[in-house]
Amino acid sequence: MQDDALALFARAGVIVAESELNSRKLVINSTDGRYSFVLVKPGDVPTYVQYGVADAGVCGRDVLMESRADVHEPLDLKFGRCKIAVAGKREVLGEDYNLLATVRVGTKYPRIATDYFHAKGVPIEVIALTGSVELAPLLGLSDRIVDLVETGQTLKENGLEVIDVITESTARLIVNRASFHLKRIEVGALIAKLTEALNQ
Amino acid sequence: MSSLTKIPAGVQYFFDDEVKLRRHVERRAMEAFAGWSYDEIILPMFDYHDLFARGMGEEKAERTYRFVDRDGALLALRPELTSLVARTVATRFIKRERPVRLCYSGEVFRYDEPTERAAREFHQLGVEHIGEPDIVADIEALLVAAEVLTALGLGGFRIALSHVDFFNGVADFLKLDSGRRAQLRELIDCRNSLAVEEFLRTHAARVEESRRADFSRLIQIAGKQDVIGRAREILINERSRAAVDHLDKIYSTLTSLGLGENFDVDLGDAGGLEYYTGLTFKVYMPDCGAEIGGGGRYDNLIANFGEPEPAVGFSIALDGLVSAISLGPEAQRWQSANDARAISLNGDPARAFGQAREMRKQGKQVKISAK
Repeated sequence: MQDDALALFARAGVIVAESELNSRKLVINSTDGRYSFVLVKPGDVPTYVQYGVADAGVCGRDVLMESRADVHEPLDLKFGRCKIAVAGKREVLGEDYNLLATVRVGTKYPRIATDYFHAKGVPIEVIALTGSVELAPLLGLSDRIVDLVETGQTLKENGLEVIDVITESTARLIVNRASFHLKRIEVGALIAKLTEALNQ
Repeated sequence: MSSLTKIPAGVQYFFDDEVKLRRHVERRAMEAFAGWSYDEIILPMFDYHDLFARGMGEEKAERTYRFVDRDGALLALRPELTSLVARTVATRFIKRERPVRLCYSGEVFRYDEPTERAAREFHQLGVEHIGEPDIVADIEALLVAAEVLTALGLGGFRIALSHVDFFNGVADFLKLDSGRRAQLRELIDCRNSLAVEEFLRTHAARVEESRRADFSRLIQIAGKQDVIGRAREILINERSRAAVDHLDKIYSTLTSLGLGENFDVDLGDAGGLEYYTGLTFKVYMPDCGAEIGGGGRYDNLIANFGEPEPAVGFSIALDGLVSAISLGPEAQRWQSANDARAISLNGDPARAFGQAREMRKQGKQVKISAK
């Protein structure tokens, strides 16, 4: 996602030198010195922006939904496209979750999973995982998983399939609510530049 | 973990310089309120849950700390102060001359999601101006807010002005049902202009494309007079146009008072519509990631407790003001200066305490030392 984001920013005229990127610095500057970039883990992006430490950020809609951060989301940057889906072995349960009192769901997205199943009136037990989520149904740790699916190849190789797509996700530009007002000219200019780059 | 050392989530203790700063901020704000003839009202810490549910809406009232009275009635720690003021004015102040101007300073208690700001007690400073339907009350409220911020040395504040009828007018004009309304509101709140344009392509097909595109850009970025001008060109429906006219009058008055720099017109603020009926505004400070206060007109609230009455008010978070000051140049002033005169007992308490009492009569700070 970082490479796609930097490529888009470069098209928008915000360029980061290769030497900066190759350094181990966590805060780097654009070549014109007008923008500073803070490199953080994807899941932390909404936090940095919500608290206003960064005025704006780039993160996936999946991360944003899961964090429920209170930020503006002015632009869909169109890259990083994937699905957040419910997957599992269809023969185990099909779509009739009512066969079980509680469905065990392995996921990196406890909130998205809970919202999805609860909206259907299905009680779930969330099994919070941080990686290799596909393992959970294979080893009987969970009945279903809720995870990002890009091509579905990993699922297929592990004998799993997508049961339902919860939502599509792409990268988003997010902006701190206060910065939106206090730096509205700068924020407005950035949005305009990125919009133009997206339309190219 | 020992239950004696553990603290419940969200509680806060303040000490040292922070206490002095908080008291100073509170005093300054209350002075400004009093200067505009707002009388302080001291409100109860808890009341019936129903009162707050009617005031701020069922959904938000869900976030209160609740408990039962001895007769089984459901009570709640106050999650906000406006409902308490509104009921008081509608019942006990019924015979008083209007408008009624009241101000308050006090903690409110809300249970928020763990990811939201951690504190569950907040100290709010605010005013309510009740019984005046005219725009003058709106402007007065904004000027009082501006004075509080300026008096605290926070001249860099920005207040974003909006009006609920801007959105309501558009939603009515497009004949959106409640689901679609909520959807459009969410898109506007995200400032996602492309998504708004897409939404309008489907739901406002009869409006020409250029107008739809202009509208989508209008809600994206706040501005000044230019936003008002653009809005007038774009809007067709009367309700939204009237809202923009209202904002124009307010903004022009503020500009003529030399406050134009501190105020923005923000037509993309579509939140909090259940409660407010006219002007709404939010207060921002540099380096504070979220708004530190807000308010607006709420002409329907008081009817819940008696006769309908127009009203406008705002509240500012004491915590927000304090953190803004701590980040600013004035912060140094709040390092404590220790002016206390040490008085040694020297084995003669009568003498030492006599001396201390004498100095206290002169208003000096003393500190008894046992050595």
